[in-house]
Amino acid sequence: MKVLIIGSGGREHAIAKLVRRSSLDPKIFVVMDYRNPGLEREAVETGGKWFVASTTSVGKVLEIANELSPDLIVIGPEEPQFAGVSDALREKGFTVFGASMRCAEIEKSKVFARTVMWKYNIDGRLYFKAFRDVEEARKFIEFAGDVVIKPARQAGGKGVKVLKDTQAYLSKDRSEVKRSYVDKLFTEMSSYRDIDYKIIVEQRVEGVEYTAMVITDGDYVLSLPLIQDHPHAFEYDIGPETGGMGSIQGPGWVLPFITFDEYRKTIEIVSKVLKALYMEIKEPYIGAFAGQMMLTGVWGPTVIEFYSRFGDPEISNLVPIVESDFLEILDRAAEKRLAGVKLEINEDVVTIVKAIAPAGYPDDKKLASNHPIYVDENRMRELGCEVLYASVELGSNNMMYTKGSRAFEIVCSGKDYEEAYRKSENAVQYVESLDGWPLFYRRDIGSRELLEDRIRVAKRVREVYMARASNGLLGKVLIWLPGEGVIENPLIGFVR
Amino acid sequence: MSGMLSIYAFDELWNLANTVRYGLMALQHRGLQSYVVCSTGVDVECVEGSDIDVAKSASGHVAIASIHNYENEKTFTIQRSNEYSVAIVAERPWRRIDDFALDLVNVLKTSRNRVEAFTNALSNLQRDSEDVVPSLMVLTKDKEVFVWRSHNGFSPIALGSYGFDMAIAASESVAIDILGGDLKKFLRPGEGIYISRHMLKTFLVNQADAYNGLCLFEFLYLSRHDAIINNVSVYEFRKALGYDLGKYLDKEVDVVVGVPETALPYAIGFSSRVGKPFEVAFVATGGRRRSMLASNPFEKIVAIHLKMNPIRSSLEGKKVAIVDDSMVTGSTIKTVSQILRFRVGVREIHLFIASPPLIRSCPYNVMKLDMQNLLAANLSKELAKSYLEVDSLHWLSIEDVDRVARMFGLRFCGRCLGVNVIGGEEK
Repeated sequence: MKVLIIGSGGREHAIAKLVRRSSLDPKIFVVMDYRNPGLEREAVETGGKWFVASTTSVGKVLEIANELSPDLIVIGPEEPQFAGVSDALREKGFTVFGASMRCAEIEKSKVFARTVMWKYNIDGRLYFKAFRDVEEARKFIEFAGDVVIKPARQAGGKGVKVLKDTQAYLSKDRSEVKRSYVDKLFTEMSSYRDIDYKIIVEQRVEGVEYTAMVITDGDYVLSLPLIQDHPHAFEYDIGPETGGMGSIQGPGWVLPFITFDEYRKTIEIVSKVLKALYMEIKEPYIGAFAGQMMLTGVWGPTVIEFYSRFGDPEISNLVPIVESDFLEILDRAAEKRLAGVKLEINEDVVTIVKAIAPAGYPDDKKLASNHPIYVDENRMRELGCEVLYASVELGSNNMMYTKGSRAFEIVCSGKDYEEAYRKSENAVQYVESLDGWPLFYRRDIGSRELLEDRIRVAKRVREVYMARASNGLLGKVLIWLPGEGVIENPLIGFVR
Repeated sequence: MSGMLSIYAFDELWNLANTVRYGLMALQHRGLQSYVVCSTGVDVECVEGSDIDVAKSASGHVAIASIHNYENEKTFTIQRSNEYSVAIVAERPWRRIDDFALDLVNVLKTSRNRVEAFTNALSNLQRDSEDVVPSLMVLTKDKEVFVWRSHNGFSPIALGSYGFDMAIAASESVAIDILGGDLKKFLRPGEGIYISRHMLKTFLVNQADAYNGLCLFEFLYLSRHDAIINNVSVYEFRKALGYDLGKYLDKEVDVVVGVPETALPYAIGFSSRVGKPFEVAFVATGGRRRSMLASNPFEKIVAIHLKMNPIRSSLEGKKVAIVDDSMVTGSTIKTVSQILRFRVGVREIHLFIASPPLIRSCPYNVMKLDMQNLLAANLSKELAKSYLEVDSLHWLSIEDVDRVARMFGLRFCGRCLGVNVIGGEEK
């Protein structure tokens, strides 16, 4: 079976590894933006081919697909979806796994996603206000309180400003930052021509985050095990937001700090959103879909945002545990024959993924780029771990160079967190910077301390949301404006 | 002991002046004599003063600061050489602080591997039996912060964060709470953390061979009730000591009171053990004052007097168990007993101290106490009872504190009590 994967990073490498094990004799072809050595190898070793081309260029991708006539095309990242690559390929009769442009709107536009949740009254929705105009945003922000400011368009998982504002004595300083940040964000977002709203201001919530991924053919929803990503750049959940510095999974379908009830509720929310999306755009959603969730005191399972694709690095956790024929599942989804499919996983192991990034990531891409880097894959394999190649490029001299984002994802599994953690901590040492440029990763991911902390926090928010549920206050945030009455609006600050 | 604070905002949009101000305010109970705030504009600058307004100088996105009690002793420095500069604040006075800062200026000016340069400089400090290196916070011209908890650091160092925006390190967890942050971890002895715009890294430098533990007074007196130290609630620890102290009650009492305000949780623990009501006995005037930290004896007695206006109705004609966290010179208790006797008219006073007798001065100069002023080192129990005008006097034993400390997974320096270490291994 000829499978064409569109995309260049660690997620696509994980997909390639999962697909490769299929009994359908897969030959892997890849269109990537740069020479990812991992993807290149998966293609060559399976008797396929690789192409370097812009993955968001409809014309280029079509041209290559026409040349190859693959049996299945898998679109990895969101940007080709936004650019209409899936639609163009389907139009030409190809079998495609990956959301259409209009379906992918659920990831691209945070305003659309939130609006759909409110319109269809779906649980786990947060209050928000979106802005097209900088003046209007500035005016609003003067009186905003405990909020999060985000780009209204998906922008590589970055740009989120969480400004906890529950201390009036520091409120002026936070206001100052909100104001400057709104201006900065408007400037940055002005380069995106494909959206009208530029920024969104949301109710801030706290709790523990987790990702719920599903595969769907527009009708049947196949849920994948829960996985937790770690967005902060540095250890102990400190520092700037990244696309994810690593993730944990298992054992089994939930995480140690999420209950089965919460898992079921989460999948219910995700499924309802897919239904609502169909009502809105009348196009079947074919591909991967994910809810970036948080267990909060306000709602219990709460939606932070959606992905119209597999999470990265979350998909990497599946590599060691999937026992079913993953290619067959993707193919059946793409052909709208997913109904009744079961995903078998190894429920006895846990998996830990750690990303390794060059210093400079995530805020200074230039600084983090073009550093020669090496990974001793044999040693990693001896440990039973796998290397996924992400933001690294093979140079003409056959050396690997960083591309500015997370260079590698190291995937290890074990019978429990202790074992998987020990392996992954051993494995990361086999990545080496060849010019002395500092690399970093998060030692704390998968550690007992961090896991215990998550369990503690989850327990606390669980108390809160269950108490609020029994008082009929789930999702509600009430404020009293004397003279006007009690209203629901969590976006207003101390100064009204 | 100083209260130290480091704040690193990863986004240059922040002006930290107010953040530093409120962070210092949260550490203010640790000593009110002097504030130091260091920040980086074009160069590293430190401003010192007796007013918290010095925090205004922290107008950038990186700052270190401290409050301290020490007069004429060096707890901070700024050194410049070859167009490079480094500022250091220390947990307690350190006579080699200038030399070390100069060493750092020289190595950090040229080193690419920042953490290695710093750890080497620390390791290269020649062992000097007279000198014990305190915990440090360092700010460099390159807008980097190093925070290091010494093996001989007697205060904890808590690490926290604020959203995606800030890393915060402080001598007491309450500073992180007050700044709206989340407490993340406590540095272990010898553990340090390096923070720069694109990197945050922990490291380990073991300077001494033995770890003696935290200063017992961190838990007994210095920290706020709402503080967490090494994942242990200070409030719960204080209550547990008070509860244990209850076993020494051998007379009939009517009420239990605590000496304000540090001793209140001890009295609550005591009361729950002996089954007698806990009463509020005194009301303070003019806000909280730390009488024990005042270095001027007159100011100290003024602070005590202002804390002690009695609520007569709850005590008059009663047999009173009075609980305090510690007794150093006895001047607080003497004042209290005089008020209870002459102004209130209580029938009996039974004094319970939730720590063992202090019999040595502090070799590390954490508590500045001369041997000749220590009540327990100079007066017999009988003489002390007469002087203090109490009907009975009880202390927790070293074994008692040791047992409670082990229960909480804590380890303390016990030099002022005449032993090296109290408690077990730190959790």
